[in-house]
Amino acid sequence: MKFRLPPLDWPLAFATLGLIGIGLATVYSATSVPGAHQGLWAKQFLWFVVAVGFAWIIAAVHYRFYDSISWPLYATSLVALVAVFVIGVERLGAKRWIELGPLQFQPSEIAKLATTFVLARFFDHARLDLRKLRWWMPPVFITLIPFALVAKEPDLGTASSFPAMLVAMFFWAGMPASQLLLGLSPIFNVALFFLTGSVWWFVALFVGLLAWARPRVVVLVAMLALNGAVAVTLPKLWNHLHDYQKRRIETFLNPEQDPSGAGYQVIQSKIAIGSGGLVGKGYLKGSQKALAYLPMRHTDFIYSVVGEELGLLGSLTVVLLYGIVVFRGYRLASIARDGFASLMAVGITTALFFHIMVNMLMTIGWAPVTGVPLPFLSYGGTALIVNCIQIGLLQNVALRRREY
Amino acid sequence: MPQGPPQRDKDTRFAILAALAVASFGLVVLGLLRLQVLEHDQLARLSDQNRVRLDVIRAPRGAIRDRAGRILADNQPSFDIVFRPAPIESTLRVRTAIAPDWLARVSGAIIGDTLEIRRKVQEANRTGQTAVLRRAAPYAVMAAVEESRSDLAGIDVQVAPIRRYPSGMLAAQLLGYAGEVNDRELEERADKGYGLGDLIGKTGVERRYEDVLRGEDGAEFVVVNAMGKRVTTLEEGPPKLPISGRDVTLTIDLDVQRALEIAMGKIERGAAVVLDPRDGSVLAMVSKPEFDPNEFSRGISFDRWKELNSNGAFPLLNRATQSAYPPGSTFKVVCMLAGLKLGQVDPDSHMPTSCSGAYYFGGRRFGCWEHGGHGSLNLVDALQHSCDVYFYQLGLRLGIDPIEQTARALGLGERTGIDLPAEARGLVPSSQYYNDHFHTGRWPKGVLLNLGIGQGELLTTPLQLATMTAIVANGGHAVRPHVVRQIEGQESAKLPRPVEPGVVASSAIWDAVHLAMHKVTIPGGTANASRTVPGMNVAGKTGTAQNPHGNDHALFVCFAPLEAPTIAMAIVAENSGHGSEWAAPVAGSLLRQVFLPDTGSVAAKAARVAPVPVDTTAD
Repeated sequence: MKFRLPPLDWPLAFATLGLIGIGLATVYSATSVPGAHQGLWAKQFLWFVVAVGFAWIIAAVHYRFYDSISWPLYATSLVALVAVFVIGVERLGAKRWIELGPLQFQPSEIAKLATTFVLARFFDHARLDLRKLRWWMPPVFITLIPFALVAKEPDLGTASSFPAMLVAMFFWAGMPASQLLLGLSPIFNVALFFLTGSVWWFVALFVGLLAWARPRVVVLVAMLALNGAVAVTLPKLWNHLHDYQKRRIETFLNPEQDPSGAGYQVIQSKIAIGSGGLVGKGYLKGSQKALAYLPMRHTDFIYSVVGEELGLLGSLTVVLLYGIVVFRGYRLASIARDGFASLMAVGITTALFFHIMVNMLMTIGWAPVTGVPLPFLSYGGTALIVNCIQIGLLQNVALRRREY
Repeated sequence: MPQGPPQRDKDTRFAILAALAVASFGLVVLGLLRLQVLEHDQLARLSDQNRVRLDVIRAPRGAIRDRAGRILADNQPSFDIVFRPAPIESTLRVRTAIAPDWLARVSGAIIGDTLEIRRKVQEANRTGQTAVLRRAAPYAVMAAVEESRSDLAGIDVQVAPIRRYPSGMLAAQLLGYAGEVNDRELEERADKGYGLGDLIGKTGVERRYEDVLRGEDGAEFVVVNAMGKRVTTLEEGPPKLPISGRDVTLTIDLDVQRALEIAMGKIERGAAVVLDPRDGSVLAMVSKPEFDPNEFSRGISFDRWKELNSNGAFPLLNRATQSAYPPGSTFKVVCMLAGLKLGQVDPDSHMPTSCSGAYYFGGRRFGCWEHGGHGSLNLVDALQHSCDVYFYQLGLRLGIDPIEQTARALGLGERTGIDLPAEARGLVPSSQYYNDHFHTGRWPKGVLLNLGIGQGELLTTPLQLATMTAIVANGGHAVRPHVVRQIEGQESAKLPRPVEPGVVASSAIWDAVHLAMHKVTIPGGTANASRTVPGMNVAGKTGTAQNPHGNDHALFVCFAPLEAPTIAMAIVAENSGHGSEWAAPVAGSLLRQVFLPDTGSVAAKAARVAPVPVDTTAD
């Protein structure tokens, strides 16, 4: 009997391992200078072993099991999200963690998976018709509840991956693009207002969308009302944000304004990446990193260390590996034989994709500083385990793509 | 497959998602290209600026020594709390806007005045230079700063030499003090490379010899971390080593200076100068009250500064060179010399009117200090007893300009040119002066009478009086008083000789003047108290300067030994009374300490020969 390799998605597997390898090496470099963080790479390696174990188990269990437990899991995760406010551990002004003995975990990560399962289960339905309110409204609420709870922690970075997932899954489940864009119009409304400072850009876009989607009168009125309300309440909402959230948004829009706080991090990150040049200053030789100019260099800003020490060559390699992960994730979605598996793959890939983009664009100064770690690279046990679980789920789909 | 969209639709949607992924990652690639290719040079430079800083290595100031090489001023290491502004073009330009909480933390840590710190930090940010926020910080402050370093961006501890004056208040006004350069000095000396926080001589020798004492600061490139803490020096680019300032050796003799300080112990305000009459070198100079220049090295607070300056006693003022007093009867020496030189009188000459306690001129009464009168005296005895009536008549006989010319030849009325800053000129009136102040030729003859006894418009500094005494002592040779004897690495520190030839007179004339001045110091003279060294003859003249603002100033000038003078001095005690009572004993105490050095420690000698008021009110 010939040994046959399991039908894993090998490009996905190798890209993931490559990223984790680069991550370990960079954490080693980032914590190699004297200080409190020395030796973290060994801890991270331990987490990696644990994470691979998790991924293995997650991949071995048939995804139908997750389908079947999706609602109880979702309910549990919401309870955990509420519990965070009561028994959570506060760090840097945010309650995101729950301590269970020696272990700490973020309920928001579990909620992310559970929401993916529930949405996939919901959309995997014979009579699904997303043009109808009774079909598209429930997913919105399913997503909004965990989104609101996570945003309240506050963890805007993780929270915003929920709507990103929802949009991708709506799209994947067959919602017409015009309708989807019309539904997203309040977001465009906000973004365009901040970027241009004028409402007319949005008005033009909105009229164009209406002409394309040709919605029913009820929807038309609803969208008009919604966008009107957004325009009116935006300033009030702004005042409800935490000071540091406001500062981050302001800093993102105008980094020179406050180079001492969040702006300082972004400027130092840009200096680190830019000074790396084509081939970098050499592994372990980053001066920005070594002299502590680069803040959070082993967590949120680890990509800046890659850019400084390994240059354009290293940064592009990382981009390429992430590209493979995202591409394979969506590819698996499109070849999956099962509706739930397909939708789940899209949700998971989008969540990863979203975090990758938010972090990378942050380090090059093109996205606000949100405190989102870079999947597979940043130091942190929970994040690594969750990211590997996500890959395990994708491999789960790959292993069973020839089932019928 | 039971549910889900048809496969063809799925492929389209996959293509759209894949395109979105390509576009998103493409955006990241664009960002990377911009930073790592387009802006690489600029960002690499910023990265270097981030970590490399040019630190100044302070050059120690030259030491100031007395003529025997004993230290009067040198340096000691001090730990200064400094603020280093971020490189102008770099990332921390935030610091130009000073955050109130940062300011509060800094002022809390270094225990400093918030306004003062803000001013200095703003200045540092404007110029890009390091500012010293607290000089010579005590250990507790240093510890506090080190502890909260990460909260105090830009704050650093720097070791720099500060000035140390081991003898404290001794010769304080002569030595002067060095302090942090101020805005005006920075502007004036912009071309000499002064920077914020540099030390500069402010007064005295420290100021006059600033260019010699000041070294040349070195510099080195150091690698610093984000907190501004020095990590290591940069391998490439060796340091430029500092060049120490040059030492300056003074003519001051620490023993004589100490003796004079002790002798002046009871004088609250006043000054004394001791010269070597042979060459004009200053052996000792005291101005009372004194101050401790060490206070300025440590960085003086504004309040303390105001206290020193608003206090009526003005301790920072060097009264020996910067204050002018009427010379009083010490000026009679000038008149005697002028009379003898012009042949108007000889030592035995009597004046037509003998002294009956007063002299009447132009319908006015001019009194003699001896109300009972001196009778008829010859010139030598008139000086010995300081008879005013005699000198009124001598003044009348001489006229203004001969007196003025002799006074100037003796160094009065003009700056001596001593190597100390801001010397006062004093005033010796000429007929031109009176013509300018009254109508030409219409001024009253009475001014001549006053001139004869050293009152009226006359003003002289203690240094000028000492110089006059030195010239009289050495037989008329002009000398230029000076305080610096040698400058390290320089052949000669000699100041140009005075242009004035001094006073040309026969030895008979000098013998007569010296004899008269000697008789002042023997029993029967007005300054017996100055003759304290057995077997040594002293020549002197007391004076009492009328002070319209308060008690009279007591004066005394003298030189010794009479036969071969090595010491000439002048003493002024403000608001204390008669010269014979207050100033002459100071000279006596000094002479005893200097010429009888073997009779025990200086302090013991001081106790023995401290100036004791004698019960003569003679003048």
